[in-house]
Amino acid sequence: MRILAVFEKGERIRHIGHLDIQRSVQRGLRRSGLPVAYSQGFNPHILITFAQALSTGACGKREIMDVTMAEEVSAEEFVARMNRAMPPEMQVREARAVDAKHPSLMGMVRAADYDLTIRDAEIGARLAEAIPAMMAKETIPALRKTKTKLTEVDIKPLILSIRGEANHVFATLVLTERESCKPQMLLEALKQAAGIEGEVRMLVTRERLLGEDASGVLAPLETL
Amino acid sequence: MDYNEKFEMALEKVQKAPRYTGGEMNTTVKAWDEARLHFGFCFPDTYEVGMSHLGMKILYGLINRESWSLCERFFMPWTDMMDIMKAEGIPLLSMESRRPLRDFDVIGFTLQYEMSYSNILAMIEMGGVPIDSCERGENDPIVVAGGPCAFNPEPLADFIDAFMIGDGEDVMTELNRVILSRRENGWTRGKCLRELAKLEGVYVPSLYDVTYEADGRVRSVTPNCPEASPTVRKRVVVDLNTTYYPEEIPVPYTEVVFDRIMLEIMRGCTRGCRFCQAGMLYRPVRERSLEKLTDLAEKLQEATGYEEISLSSLSSGDYTCLPELIRTLMKNMKDKRVSISLPSLRIDSVLKESLEETQQVRKTSLTFAPEAGTQRMRDVINKGVTEEDLLEKVRDAFHGGWNSVKLYFMDGLPTETEADLDGIADLARKVVSEYFAVPKDRRARGLRVTVSVSIFVPKPFTPFQWAPQDTIETVFAKTGHLKKVLNIKGVTFNWHEPYLSFMEACFARGDRRMGKVLRRAYEKGCILDGWSETFRFDTWMEAFKECDLDPAFYANRERALDEVLPWDHIDSGISKSFLLREWEKSRRAETTKDCRKGCNGCGLQKWKGVCGYANAGGT
Repeated sequence: MRILAVFEKGERIRHIGHLDIQRSVQRGLRRSGLPVAYSQGFNPHILITFAQALSTGACGKREIMDVTMAEEVSAEEFVARMNRAMPPEMQVREARAVDAKHPSLMGMVRAADYDLTIRDAEIGARLAEAIPAMMAKETIPALRKTKTKLTEVDIKPLILSIRGEANHVFATLVLTERESCKPQMLLEALKQAAGIEGEVRMLVTRERLLGEDASGVLAPLETL
Repeated sequence: MDYNEKFEMALEKVQKAPRYTGGEMNTTVKAWDEARLHFGFCFPDTYEVGMSHLGMKILYGLINRESWSLCERFFMPWTDMMDIMKAEGIPLLSMESRRPLRDFDVIGFTLQYEMSYSNILAMIEMGGVPIDSCERGENDPIVVAGGPCAFNPEPLADFIDAFMIGDGEDVMTELNRVILSRRENGWTRGKCLRELAKLEGVYVPSLYDVTYEADGRVRSVTPNCPEASPTVRKRVVVDLNTTYYPEEIPVPYTEVVFDRIMLEIMRGCTRGCRFCQAGMLYRPVRERSLEKLTDLAEKLQEATGYEEISLSSLSSGDYTCLPELIRTLMKNMKDKRVSISLPSLRIDSVLKESLEETQQVRKTSLTFAPEAGTQRMRDVINKGVTEEDLLEKVRDAFHGGWNSVKLYFMDGLPTETEADLDGIADLARKVVSEYFAVPKDRRARGLRVTVSVSIFVPKPFTPFQWAPQDTIETVFAKTGHLKKVLNIKGVTFNWHEPYLSFMEACFARGDRRMGKVLRRAYEKGCILDGWSETFRFDTWMEAFKECDLDPAFYANRERALDEVLPWDHIDSGISKSFLLREWEKSRRAETTKDCRKGCNGCGLQKWKGVCGYANAGGT
């Protein structure tokens, strides 16, 4: 059996990278005493996957891990034991027991809800106000940075929904292996629409990961 | 904008932000107002180095265990962070509750390495506390320090209010109680320091006056008040089974240098290597019991989730029941998928079997420290390793499937000649031959022999405390020679630049005047000297000049045997006559036996009940 668990990456530890988060969860599982399954071989490791890596610098409200258990464990017990074993900034919110055949969540992520909190309230308000103007454009060009190059992409089709409220921008952005819109790309496009130059500080919170249900409608990944 | 918000901003700009953010598992965040005494534990190097240090974890747990005291951690920020903090006026903040250093009642530094001293000044200043002890007022914290370098406290005497000499477990709480009284009884700073001086093992430098000879040598160090005793004897924890050891330790999110459980199996060493300061300072040898260790390992593993346990001590191979300990730990930890890292010198036949059974051995490189290239030189330094010993172990390892061996040596040892340097190359060549002597189909492919040669630094409280260090020019000449003779196929030669070792030597045996040099160099921008990218040797030399002091006086001068040494008022338990005897024997390349084979009369025998191997009648 497997446990799909929803956990938080808190603001204090937002600068921790994905690999370190993974290792911390694994050590948490080892501390919890839960009967996790290990890989075979010379250097056994816990059978665990994460639905989607979260960038360094971003917080996550509902990140998802998928842990294979060696014995039956109830979701309640998993949550209770993990929360004793995990630091306050990485608590498990809820869990669900699924059987071994349940599809892997890794390939099911389609999009994510984000809260972009602009640190400067006045600039935040201006960016929020610029949303309709930006969305009215035919294309929204943005630069995607990879390790080796910068490419221009049109992020308009990647913004599934967007609204502003005070200094927050709430957006649902496409997130698949093939294409994705990073919060930073959206911010740059908004800055351009609002005519703001220079550095704008924001806190990125990934609110939840989304997949598609049987009828093709976006739904929280952990419910699928 | 308050400093907390500025700090958050800084985090977005610096490299490795997680080293500043805290919140790790098993850290303790107590309510500030509920604790009566606030201890700021400072590690004067980066987070990654500090979080690898066992002593800090012990004292962190020990102070937080008491209901009346709290302990929070401070580390040295890297230059990028420091620049922003200075520009934005952000004080040095604690990892736990992000409080400035100046808010704490006690600030405690651990002194592991001489080249972290400039970081101490930086941390004190960034913490909003006056750097000089004499400038601190009634509202400033008491600044204390301990650790191996505290045995020669003089270079830091101007900046540290009180030093703790020796094992910290007992004296820590006693010291905190006195400082608590300062707060609760309204003692003046001066009264508090005099009370601290009454504690065994506590040295308050401002209560001693130092006079000098015309040539700069120390003439005398004398107490200037009745509370200060003429000599300060180190503290010793006699029973490691009953003293405090943490059962849970902080687990960093990011990888630190030693990211594993460190199980201190014993303290002290009986071998008596003459260059080794730790081997003298941590005497006598004391072992933790098998039961205590297996229990601690269990609890620490449950509390941390670590995948690896390493056995920590100066010479783990000497632990009495080592095979039994390893077997028990391996048995208990097997199902938990915890590996035990072994002291590489003891992979003997008995262990090999159980290793193969459990498949827990990772064939990483094996490390040996013959320290010197010839038997004569090894006898001079009393390193009880013979060439045959070493080659036999290397042979076993190559037959066992290893292909990588690291050999550690020192150059610049007393009485060293070119023949001793050539001996290093001979030994390396013999190791290579051992590998090729294993039939091709039975050895692992790709031989790697790494020869690392570090530069000898004479240290206080060792038989070599009188010895000169090689000059920088001599070291370069010797390194050049080693490069030539170590040009051997399959051998990689790692050498060190002498500048850092030279500075280390100045501080290791420095007197109180070295404090002026330290302060001057710090003012000129020296910090993080232990890191090659930030070490500025030329600036240090300018600082010496501006203070009208000669670094060679400290590093390269052979001390006269009747000279007052700057640390003579500190009593390490080891008698000066023993060190002198050892120094003379070294001159004749005469060895001294391991204490386990009989008492050598190092001085501890006069201290009743402290050393288990002491012979009261020993010389």
